[in-house]
This record gives sequence, C-alpha cells and structure tokens, in this order.
Amino acid sequence: MIKFNYKLPVLAIIGLGFAVFTVINSNKPTPISIAVTDPASAPYKSFIAGSGIVEAQSRNIEIGTPLPGIVKTLNVKVGDKVKAGSALFSIDDRDARATLAIKQADLTKARADLSIAKATSDDARTLNNLAEAVTDRRAISSEELLRRHNTVSIARARVESANAFIQQAEANLADTQTTLNRLTVLAPVAGDVLQVNIRPGEYAQAGSANSALLVLGNLDQVHVRVDIDENDAWRFDKNSKAVAFLRGNRSFEVNLELAYVEPYVVPKKSLTGDSNERVDTRVLQALYRFDRKQLPIFVGQQMDVFIEAQDYAVQKGPAS
Amino acid sequence: MNYIAIKMLMGDKGKYIGIIMGLTFASLIMTQQPATFVGLMSRSYSFISDLGLPDIWVMDAKVQFVDDIKPLQDTELYRVRGISGVEWAMPLYKGLIKARLTDGTFQTCNVIGLDDATLIGGPPTMLEGKLEDLRRSDSVIVDIDGATEKLGKPSPIAGEKTIPLKVGDNLELNDRRAIVVGIAKSTRTFQSQPVVYTTYSRAKNYAPKERKLLSFILLKAKPGQDLHELTLRIKQNTGLAAYTQDEFKELTYQYFMHNTGIPINFGISIALGFIVGAAIAGQTFYNFTLDNIRQFGVLKAMGTSNLTLLRMILLQAILVGSIGYGLGVGLTALFGYATRHTILAFKFPWQLLVFSGAGVSIICIFAALISIFKVFRLEPAIVFKG
Repeated sequence: MIKFNYKLPVLAIIGLGFAVFTVINSNKPTPISIAVTDPASAPYKSFIAGSGIVEAQSRNIEIGTPLPGIVKTLNVKVGDKVKAGSALFSIDDRDARATLAIKQADLTKARADLSIAKATSDDARTLNNLAEAVTDRRAISSEELLRRHNTVSIARARVESANAFIQQAEANLADTQTTLNRLTVLAPVAGDVLQVNIRPGEYAQAGSANSALLVLGNLDQVHVRVDIDENDAWRFDKNSKAVAFLRGNRSFEVNLELAYVEPYVVPKKSLTGDSNERVDTRVLQALYRFDRKQLPIFVGQQMDVFIEAQDYAVQKGPAS
Repeated sequence: MNYIAIKMLMGDKGKYIGIIMGLTFASLIMTQQPATFVGLMSRSYSFISDLGLPDIWVMDAKVQFVDDIKPLQDTELYRVRGISGVEWAMPLYKGLIKARLTDGTFQTCNVIGLDDATLIGGPPTMLEGKLEDLRRSDSVIVDIDGATEKLGKPSPIAGEKTIPLKVGDNLELNDRRAIVVGIAKSTRTFQSQPVVYTTYSRAKNYAPKERKLLSFILLKAKPGQDLHELTLRIKQNTGLAAYTQDEFKELTYQYFMHNTGIPINFGISIALGFIVGAAIAGQTFYNFTLDNIRQFGVLKAMGTSNLTLLRMILLQAILVGSIGYGLGVGLTALFGYATRHTILAFKFPWQLLVFSGAGVSIICIFAALISIFKVFRLEPAIVFKG
C-alpha cells in the first residue's frame, strides 16, 4: 500500500492561489494625478480660445526726458497716483541756474544802460531847448544850433537801443528759464506710476533707451489684449460675447466688452527668454474692457480668454 | 478505479515527479516569458497610461509613437482649445535633455513640462513633496527610479551603492540650474530614462533652442461628448492627429510590435517552452504508461472496459497537468514578486493564466492521447507473455 502523496498537489494549489493573488494585486489601475487647480473651460458651445495679457487702458507710457543729465530729485515712487502736470523727477539744474543769474545780471545792466541813455537824452533836450529859446539868432551860431539838435536825435536813438537791449536780455532770461523748466519732467496724463528705473544720482539719457526711465499708466480702466491665431481670425466677430478667467483659479471669471481691434495683424513672439525672439505665427489682437473691481488682477498678468464664435463646421465663405 | 489510477501514478515517484517537472517547466516558461513580454510592451506606453486625466492626446499628424516627438507651434494649443466639445486643453512638453550631475557625468533625462497654472500631467504618485512645489523657481520633480539609480551621486566609498538624489539637491539641465523639490513614483518607461517633471515654461528654457517646442496637447472632452467624434473634429479642423488614450497606447504598442524584434524573440522562446515542455511531459507520460502496461493489461483481462481505462488515463493526465500548471504559475508569481523592485519588466494579467492553462491542457491531451491509443490497442494476453 503506497501512501497517498499530498505534498505536490497542495503545493500546486498554493502556487495557483499565489498566481491569482498576483494577477488581482498587480493589475490595479495607475492612480490618476489630478490637476492642482481646475483649468478654465469655455462657457460657449463654439468659441475661439486665446491668451490675454492685462494692460492699462492708456497703454504703458514710457516717460523720457527732453534733456540728458544727472537725476537730482525723484518726486514719485512706484504705485503713486499722479495728476497730469505734476512733477515726476528733475535733472541737475546748477548749470542752468548759473546761466540764469548771468542773464538776470545782463538784464539789470541793460536797464541801467537805459537810465543812462534816458538821462543823456534829457540833458541833450534841455540844452537844445535853451538854444532854441534864444530869439536873437545872432547870439548863437547856426552850427551850434544844429549840433544841439543832432545831439537830441542821437540821445533818443540811444534810448531806443537801450530798450532793445532790455528786450534781448529779457528774452535770454526767458530762454534760460525754459531750459530750467525742462529739467523737471512732468506727468503728461493722470495715472499710476508702474515702474521707476532711475534713482537720484543716475544719468538720465535723452532719446529712446532700452528701458524706460519711468513707466506711467492709467489703471482706472484696464484692457486685456487677446491674441487670436491668424488661422482663427476669420471666425472672430466683433459683436460676440467674451469671457476671461484668471489663471490659477477659474472661479475668478469676468465678462469682457470689446474696446477695439488692432487692425494690423502682428507677429506673435514665442517667449523663450532668448535674446533674439523668434517669430512663431501672426496674431490678430483684440482689446477688451472689463470691470477691474471684479478681479484681483495686476497689469501684465495673463488670462485665459474665450470668445464665442461660429463653429468650424460652418465653412461659410465670403458673401458673394 | 480512480484510486487505482492515482496509486498507479504516484507509485513510481521518479516518473511522477518527472512528469510534473516537465509540465511545471512548460507552464513556467509559457507564463513567465509572456509576462516579461507584456511587461516590456506595457512599458512602451506606460507614459500614456500614467497620465490618466486627459481623454485625448493631440499631436503632429506624423507622430508614430509616444517617444516620437514632432513639436507643434504654441498657438496650435489655442486652436485646439477653440474646438467645440473641448472642456480644456493643456500643453505638455516631453523631450530628452542632458542633465549634468554633481560629479560631472552626463545623463539623458526625459523632461516633462506641465502646464504652469494647473500642472496637469503630473506623476501618478508623489512620494516626497507636493506637485504644487513646482511653482517654486527652478524646481523639478524626479522619479524615484531615476533618483536612486541614474541620477544618484556616486558613493565616496568605491564599490558602494550610489547615494540617491534627495529633495533640495540640485542638477544642471542644459547649463541651467534645477532644484529637486519632490520625488515621484512613475511607471518605468521602455528606455528607463530618469523622468524629470517641471513646468511647461521652464521646460522650454531647459530645452535646446528650437522654433517649435509644444510636444503634445492634452485634452479633456466636455461631459457627454463622444470621444471618437471629437478626435475626428480635431483632425478635420486643425490637421493635427488626435487619439484617445487607448488609441494612442495602441499606436505606440503597434509601432513596437512592427518595428522591433521583441515580439518575434519572445514568440520563439514561448514556442520553445511549449515544444520542450510538450516533449518532456509527453514522453515521460508515455513511458509511464508503457511501464504500467502490464497493470493495464491485467485490468483489461479482468474485463475493464475501454471507457473506464480512458477515464483513468484522463484522470492521471488532468492530475499531473493541474499540479504542473499550479506549480508553474506559482513559480511565475514568485518570480514576479522577487523582481518587483528591480529593473525587470513583469506584468501578469489574467489572460496569461488562461493562456498557459490552455498550453498545459494541450500538452496533457497530447500526452494522454498517445497513451490511450497504446492502451486501446493492448492485447490482454500480454500479461501472460514473457
């Protein structure tokens, strides 16, 4: 009688069990990594999507200086609200002030010269009057009479000349004063100071530089500049609705109202951080208005914009 | 009668173990080899299956498989986003970038750039740190396999294991600084390169200068939208290729099937396993029947019907088949368990259990058949000969 051998069958059952366990255990689906924040999604059935960048309605005004020089004082700081015509910064004016003193002295001298000329004129006229008062012509030679008469004319001309010198000195003074005024740069419009790139003691260059001395913009009303791919431009309709979402939190949503469309289609730049950016494609730029109070937004921030548009399926050709 | 059959089978221990070993071996090869093959093939599209959130992948029309990157223009993203039925569409950068390690060696990494705001496309599991940490400057997340192996620092003691890359360590990607802020677990890819996750805009900075850099557009359909219809609409309106997750997996898988020798190599070894297993088991079983031919003869002489004999042989075949099969798949599972943390590819879907079961059954039927013919043609008189 042979003993029934259970070892191998039991081992086989364990093996099969382990295999089934492995099959069940190792084929669980990979966990899905969820989005950190939910992406924005269009509320329309068919639409154009674009990325928008927030800018001030006035665009960003890069303030320049009419005269170059060392910056003496800076009257504003970043974030300040400025009125139109208020001083932003002033350039070193010692040179101009020295010139102004000279010109003022010139004017004083010219005025003094006028007094001398007037006094001389008075003297000449008095002498002439005396001579003319003599009734007996024999008491005075006609030569003397003529000389006194001419002296009066010369003195009068000298007074006029002195007056002209005063005018010239005054004009010179006004010129220097204008130069002095131009050394203080004023705000062209009311707005907010967005950027300050100069500090007292730095040299401010006249003409266009790589970075603006000061950037000014009116933030009361902001625009969002939307890039629309030229391939999609035919679907764009000025009268259609548009909505923008804040990046990073799609619960911030705002309705847009078209301000204007830039008629010129510009090359879009792929921002790679490279020194020479490469042109990617051309884009139509539409500018939209929105109520700034609805969003915690900053100028220069990007937004996801959706514009309602006709469907691709409607391959509508031009009206013929 | 069944008892006699089992006693007959187990009586000769050597033969019994011989048959079972043959079948175990056959079943092991027919399970383990396909498991390695399936594991290897699933690695070809593991990047796609790791990314579970998007429904559809949009790419250049000429892309052949997941690692075949043909970048798009950035504005294509907005064109795709503008197609009706799209809930959202996000950019994804995927590319190979050389990383310079602290000891000066270079390692090619698979750099994945995720959308800056939503970070869609991140690794399935984070082991250390959070995905949001990618918002920090110069930050990257490295996968655990890359961090411990290829991107690790060499140990100061020669011959020791490398020191794994940790949170806070830095790398150099294309001459730019990158700080590790997290360690993730992702499924190994076919090339097994370290995976480095970062944001899309940062990945563009790391990437070599090219005019186009957008590798894929990941897309989620609006609820209730038919995915296939949407892929057709995208193809029609943008001229790009759009695949659902399964279609893209299939595309990648088919590329590897048609353009590499992997399926043929594995097919040959599976066939060899089958043939060798069949030969050993069949021959041993036949030998065993021959050895017991006297007993069968006695039974036949005693008047046992052919049907009963058939049942006996089938019982023996089924018994050794089941034991061999159980041991074989058990050993395969053990192999998978032992190599679960190594670089070896191994995937054990239920279909493989059926596959090797069918293989072992065919071998057993074949072995039983030749024995049955022998027994059927047996003359009971043989017992009295010799």
